[in-house]
Amino acid sequence: MAQPPVSSQPQEQRVQEFVSAHQALRAEVGKVIVGHHDVVAEVLVGLFAGGHVLLEGVPGLGKTLLIKTLAESLELSFSRIQFTPDLMPGDIIGTNIIVEDAQARKHFQFQRGPIFGHILLADEVNRATPKTQSALLEGMQEGAVTVSGHSHPLPAPFFVLATQNPIEMEGTYPLPEAQLDRFLFKLRVRYPALEELTEIIDRTTHVRQVEVRRVLTGAQVLTMRELVREIPIASHVRDLASFIVLATHPQWERAPESTRRFIRYGASPRGAQALVLGAKVRALSEGRFNVSVEDLRATALPALRHRLILNFEGEAEGVDVDDLIGQTVAAAESMTGSEKEVFLR
Amino acid sequence: MPGPTVIERLVADVARQIRLRRAEFYGLRGLLWGAVAAVVPLVLKEPLGTWSYVGAAILLLAGAGAGALWGFLLKLPQADAARLVDRGYGLQDRVSTALEWAEREDRTPIVEALVADAAARADQLGARRIIPRRVPREAKFVPVPLVLGLVLAAAPPIPLPQAGLPNFSVSRDEDEEKLKERDGELQQSERRQATRRDPVQRAEVQERTLTPRLGGGGQSQPGDLAAVFKDTSLAGRAPDFNSFLKKGDDRLRMLEQTDRLPDLQSDFTQSQSRMVFQKAKALRGGLDPNKKVSPEKLRELLQEMERLGRKNQPGGGQSDWSGDVYEGMEALEGGQSDRAMEAMERALNKMRSKEERGRDGKSLKGGRESDRRGNKRGNERGQGQGGPGDEGDFPEGEGLLPGRGKSASPKGDPTARLRGNPFDVGVEGESRPGRKQGIDTNMVGRGSQMPSRMQYMGVLGQYRKMMEESIAREQVPRDFQSQVKEYFQALDEK
Repeated sequence: MAQPPVSSQPQEQRVQEFVSAHQALRAEVGKVIVGHHDVVAEVLVGLFAGGHVLLEGVPGLGKTLLIKTLAESLELSFSRIQFTPDLMPGDIIGTNIIVEDAQARKHFQFQRGPIFGHILLADEVNRATPKTQSALLEGMQEGAVTVSGHSHPLPAPFFVLATQNPIEMEGTYPLPEAQLDRFLFKLRVRYPALEELTEIIDRTTHVRQVEVRRVLTGAQVLTMRELVREIPIASHVRDLASFIVLATHPQWERAPESTRRFIRYGASPRGAQALVLGAKVRALSEGRFNVSVEDLRATALPALRHRLILNFEGEAEGVDVDDLIGQTVAAAESMTGSEKEVFLR
Repeated sequence: MPGPTVIERLVADVARQIRLRRAEFYGLRGLLWGAVAAVVPLVLKEPLGTWSYVGAAILLLAGAGAGALWGFLLKLPQADAARLVDRGYGLQDRVSTALEWAEREDRTPIVEALVADAAARADQLGARRIIPRRVPREAKFVPVPLVLGLVLAAAPPIPLPQAGLPNFSVSRDEDEEKLKERDGELQQSERRQATRRDPVQRAEVQERTLTPRLGGGGQSQPGDLAAVFKDTSLAGRAPDFNSFLKKGDDRLRMLEQTDRLPDLQSDFTQSQSRMVFQKAKALRGGLDPNKKVSPEKLRELLQEMERLGRKNQPGGGQSDWSGDVYEGMEALEGGQSDRAMEAMERALNKMRSKEERGRDGKSLKGGRESDRRGNKRGNERGQGQGGPGDEGDFPEGEGLLPGRGKSASPKGDPTARLRGNPFDVGVEGESRPGRKQGIDTNMVGRGSQMPSRMQYMGVLGQYRKMMEESIAREQVPRDFQSQVKEYFQALDEK
């Protein structure tokens, strides 16, 4: 049944509010973080898409600072867990403790762990044991944790930002594929450029107080998440997303040569979801009402790079996953038009 | 809602551009094939005359026109056109998304904003061509048929090849002459064929050879069959068969003296006793248990055995089994078939024992079998011929066959061993020093710890003889025989 015509004015206003909030958040984070514009933008994409983000980078690049700054710019609770090898699941989720009530009767009471926060920073997540890492799984996927048979919902919005160090792998526990798949994006934090490094030195070696404003509440974030899901996507753009994900599978009959040669396992359907949701947020952040092919292209790298598992040849030859994804996207675009007539490609 | 109208107008404009570009594209293709087709009437300019120009022009224009029409009318989905609008004007898929979602029932409120946004942007766009012209790859060949057609049009008509029809205006006389010539050729060819008849020539030779034979003289007679044929040169070339006839007479004389004929069946593989034995076995029901031997057959068999006994006995005396044969015949005449059968079996056993003794020299040297035979010979020498225990190696007729003979074992007697050593279970080998090329075989038991006692080739020869005897004695299928022989042959080649 066709819906009654709605004036586009409030919708444009909603989109405009989104754009303003997005820009305001970036500006607040930019007060502290120098450079890393793409990383900040993609972290915000993760926030508004309702996913979780894994940041990977060597120490000292400002990963933790970026997340703390973001948390400060939002009126949301913030928890930080430093993952270590002796960290236990109960240290994350919480535990039942014995308490006495007013009548001096003892009973168990659930003591909430640090996971019960809006924004959770899981610092150096790969240093904890897999058992502890998996304690995050249910919360990340379901938005709730179960302790002693009781399910405890996590506050909304719930946003996990995990960091890991690609070097010093000794004594670490690389995240299993199942857990990696639960992250919407995996972002690579790179070294700052010369100008950015100079700016970092200036900002951090002077007596200078930076005050970060809170620009968004949790409710606003949730509203914007709903808006994101309303964004329409054309069928040919959606088909391209499917083609991109399928093209990462070496078993697919139309997979490109690079995929067949270097990839062992391709992206899961969660990859396609991440691709489209990220593209929607990106479109909204630019003030558009629809998803375009360019949005998909821009989102492909962070949405897929942690979902592709290289085979032995890929590992041995040091193939960069980002390069592979670039080739896969190009191949997928050619596939969508290959069956069409010459003027319609 | 004005939005979609603006958008649709924009899409329609681009669709028109696409159709025009398609018309150009496919028109060029059609022009190429039309030009190729137009060459044909220009080649046929001589018979067609001025119509060839008209036809060529029509084909050229029809090709180009049909191609253009085909391109213009080709299916063009609106979504594809909208996608090209987005791409051409840089609208980031606004138009295609708006067109697709505007009519959808599950559209969200934000689609209204999208349509309005797309319409506003479309309204601001100026009309311009966004579809680039494309030229088909084969278009570069268009000048070839065009130039060829122009050349053909300007050139004089090409003379067409005339078909070679037969000339019916030849005179009757010439026909008759040709007929005569043809008749003469036929006669000559028949004559040549008559002189080439080899079978006739061969028959002539046969007649010539038979004529003196019938006459009994050695010389060819004048006026024989060869003289019927005029080709006397063949008669002169005929071989002299007199010497052959002489030899043939000798052979015929030898055939009459059956006792002096060479015993071609002395080979144990073709021995008469074996043939008789097999026949008797088959008659006893070896092949068909329900079928009993008839008295006539049994009598024939006994007579044959009696004849063989006389034949093999030096001086034509009585053989060892003649008594049994006569007993069997008497029993047969008395109607006692069972008794006759038993007598025949006894005679057969004796016949076989005698044969075994006859080929004693072919057996292996040494071993218990030879020893036993040696003892028997000693007994024969000491005790005279015959005796209760003197029944040869296979006294019960079947020898080593399972369940037969003296052995109580259902598996039959063990096979003969070398030197009678019970531990000597195989050909002992000696481990060679140095690098081995293969694996030593059968190095088990005491044999593996003992040095070789026998030359390999000597043992192999003995075993080969033993194998041949076994194949002849036992009913070994032919395929297995060849396999075993090939195996021994391979050992020889080693």
